[in-house]
Amino acid sequence: MPRFEELLEDFFYRPEEDVGALFDAGGIIEAPAAAAVEESPEEYLAFRLADETYAVRIGVVREIVKVPPLTEVPRSSAELLGVINLRGEVLPVYDLKLRLRLSTVPAPIAGPDANLAALPKSARILIVHDPEGDAGVLVDAVLEVVKLRPSTLEAPPRAVSGGDRSPITGIGRRREQLFILLDLAQALP
Amino acid sequence: MSTPSKGLSEFVAEATEILDTLAQDLLTLDERRGEDVDPDLLNGIFRAAHSLKGLAGMFGQDRVAQLAHRSEDLLDRLRLGKVELGPAALDGLIATIDVFQALLAESARGEASPEVTQRSQALADHLLRLAEGAPRAPEDPLAGIGLDPGVRAVLTEYEEHRLRENLKKGLSLWKVRAAFDLSDFDQRLQEVNAKLKPLGEVISTLPSAEPGAGTGIAFDLLFGTRRSEDELRAAVAAMPVALQRIAQAAPPSTASAPPPQGEAAAAPARPERRKRKRGTSRATGTPPIPERSGPAEPALEAAEPTLPAVDEESAALAPVTPLPTRTPPVTPKPELDASLRSLTQTVRVDIRRLDALMNAVGELLLTRANLQRLAETARMGGVHAISKLWAQELHRETRQLERKLDELQKGILDVRMVPLGQVFDKLARLVRRIARSAGKEIDFVITGGEVELDKLIVEELSDPLMHIIRNAIDHGVEPPEVRVQNGKPRRATIALRALQQGNHVVIEIQDDGPGIDLARVREVAIARGLITAVQADEMSVRELQNLIFLPGFSTARSVSQLSGRGVGLDVVKTNIANLSGIIDLHSTPGQGTLLSITLPLTLAIIRALVVSVSGRTYAVPLNSVLEILSVESSEIRTIERREVVTLRGQTLPFVRLCRLFGLPEVPLKRHYVVVVGLAQERLGIAVDELVGQQDIVTKPLGGRLQHVRGISGATDLGNRRTVLVLDVGALVEEVLAPERRADFI
Repeated sequence: MPRFEELLEDFFYRPEEDVGALFDAGGIIEAPAAAAVEESPEEYLAFRLADETYAVRIGVVREIVKVPPLTEVPRSSAELLGVINLRGEVLPVYDLKLRLRLSTVPAPIAGPDANLAALPKSARILIVHDPEGDAGVLVDAVLEVVKLRPSTLEAPPRAVSGGDRSPITGIGRRREQLFILLDLAQALP
Repeated sequence: MSTPSKGLSEFVAEATEILDTLAQDLLTLDERRGEDVDPDLLNGIFRAAHSLKGLAGMFGQDRVAQLAHRSEDLLDRLRLGKVELGPAALDGLIATIDVFQALLAESARGEASPEVTQRSQALADHLLRLAEGAPRAPEDPLAGIGLDPGVRAVLTEYEEHRLRENLKKGLSLWKVRAAFDLSDFDQRLQEVNAKLKPLGEVISTLPSAEPGAGTGIAFDLLFGTRRSEDELRAAVAAMPVALQRIAQAAPPSTASAPPPQGEAAAAPARPERRKRKRGTSRATGTPPIPERSGPAEPALEAAEPTLPAVDEESAALAPVTPLPTRTPPVTPKPELDASLRSLTQTVRVDIRRLDALMNAVGELLLTRANLQRLAETARMGGVHAISKLWAQELHRETRQLERKLDELQKGILDVRMVPLGQVFDKLARLVRRIARSAGKEIDFVITGGEVELDKLIVEELSDPLMHIIRNAIDHGVEPPEVRVQNGKPRRATIALRALQQGNHVVIEIQDDGPGIDLARVREVAIARGLITAVQADEMSVRELQNLIFLPGFSTARSVSQLSGRGVGLDVVKTNIANLSGIIDLHSTPGQGTLLSITLPLTLAIIRALVVSVSGRTYAVPLNSVLEILSVESSEIRTIERREVVTLRGQTLPFVRLCRLFGLPEVPLKRHYVVVVGLAQERLGIAVDELVGQQDIVTKPLGGRLQHVRGISGATDLGNRRTVLVLDVGALVEEVLAPERRADFI
């Protein structure tokens, strides 16, 4: 494609992806016929990491952005992929796969050797609220908003929750589909 | 006509604000003529007059200060009930507004006309006479009530006055004893207050003379109310309080209770007092006239006859007609009353709003850089077949946008600028005070107060400057006798200078004292364990002098009122470094010390040197860059394994950024060395390439990344890539003090 258009693409303000559609798309799980107590389902944002499906409470997600080239921060932990400048705000972006031991090498999206093409096309950065400061986490794909009833959540299997500070808080289930529920405050370093 | 200085216009702006409040409150008071005076309102007016007096005094506006002083006096007596707030007093006070406005108008123009001066004088005298009016009737309604003398003794004058007022109005007085547990008494007390306030006036809250039960604490609240006992009891039913009536409310019609007596006693006293006041006004009013000199006299006499007229009218208790009574003391002057427009063109703005604007401009600058790039590509023929004309037009418009943006940026930076004189004047007062208490004779010479710096920097600068000057007075100046013995003038001189040099401001503090006593510095540094004797022997004079900036170095043996307040020059150094400033020290034994601080003009947008290392780009704030060298690999030496280069015969510590940051190293024959300075330290930082210079807006790294070493923030260079900004101070500290740092890692 001609260079001029690329330049233009780069120059024009790139609006963040609209997650509104996702909210609408979220399928409401049919309540079991005899719901003991009136219970309001909670909304989770489901996303994919490697080939597993994770979910976080929708309230912690501030926005979803495409993956720009990151700026690496020297002398930082491997989990910190780098920083992005989001409308004047400098935010750190972390690699959840390293934290969850789904991968051993950080995603190659920062520094001069960055290769964004190596990421799946659907990869996004979730900007999440956190008391220690908002941050971004890299995910392979954003899937949907799911509604899960608190009473249907299972405790994480012992074998999975290694140690007290495990970021995995439970398992959500929708028919055959599993959602691994994450506490991002624990997942972020 | 002289042009008013920036300081003066600030005074006018601030005084106008106070005056607006004052006028508003006085008019409220005026509207409620004849009603009971709201004590809070009167207190508010008193405070406004007080602030105005203080402000005028600070700016040397004697005429305003004098009139404000008289108003304050009168108001103080009014609020204490020593003088009754009658029409005369009210009119006198309202008259001050016009005169204040006239005075401020002249101040704004830098004038001082004799007419206005006289008007102000006459009014001030009038207020003085009002304030000296006879005290109220001696009968004390407080005598007749069941108030413990012990309690009365601790009441303030104001509280007593409020008690009397409440009695006079025929209100019930209650002693509300409230006992609470020590753990939460302040909160509970507030609750009781909140219940009582709507019903009447809480005149005083006193710790009770009789201790509460057990671990508790008890309070006596003196409370005046019109409400009945039942209402009161109902209001505090749930509270641990006991009520005791100390004065009965007067039934509306009968004249049996003490309050009406007070009223009756006051009533006959009134005409008598008026007469007496008129008498005293003549008696006190006349003598001052001969004391005053020449030209003021005729005008005063002209003003004089109108003043008693005010009293006569009100004394006759004629139906209150505010208009004629309000104007007489003021000689009408059409020019002054002609316009309702405010005197100043000033707008006060919260600095954070300017920060927000600055941010917006920062973003615009990035867009501009992108546009420029596009326009350039298009002009060069680019990749698309664009009409040449169109490309030229785009280029022209971009240039236009660029110019306007520069103006906008400069405009906002300008708005943030304030003169250093603001801080310097405060320091001058401080010097006078501490020189006197230290028994030293000092001439404090200030130059360059008009040099302007970013408001933020000026604010941050005041404390470091104060420390430095305290130090100069404490250590840098000998007592007068010693100076004479040493053949120096008896009075020492401390000079504070500011001058602008390009994008920097240099502030110098120079004394003509004994200079830094190196032997003593050496001794102290060794005693404190900051250096060893061996190290000390190897140190140059300059290095020894710089020891005074180390944390923990303070030659003051005890906490003195002057410099030894537990914080030393290390704090100064840190503060200056936080402002991207550089401190330099030159001391000549026997002749004095010169400390110079170099600061950037503003922190909002800074010029940065863009460098690249191992393919990564970083920005270095240009204000900490001293020079740039090109160094051959063969010129790099090591001392104890640490790399150094030789710069003009001096050894310069040297660090390769790629090694420091753990980046892959590109083998190079030739390094660019960016020599940075922080406070008095110098360091050479080797980089691969110099990319260029650019204005940048530094964004701090968020809360999670605060601890990242060596990086102060991030910025955008216009190509949508975020670039980290090096924290020169932290890098210098890290490289030059590895021993200290080693303890933490």
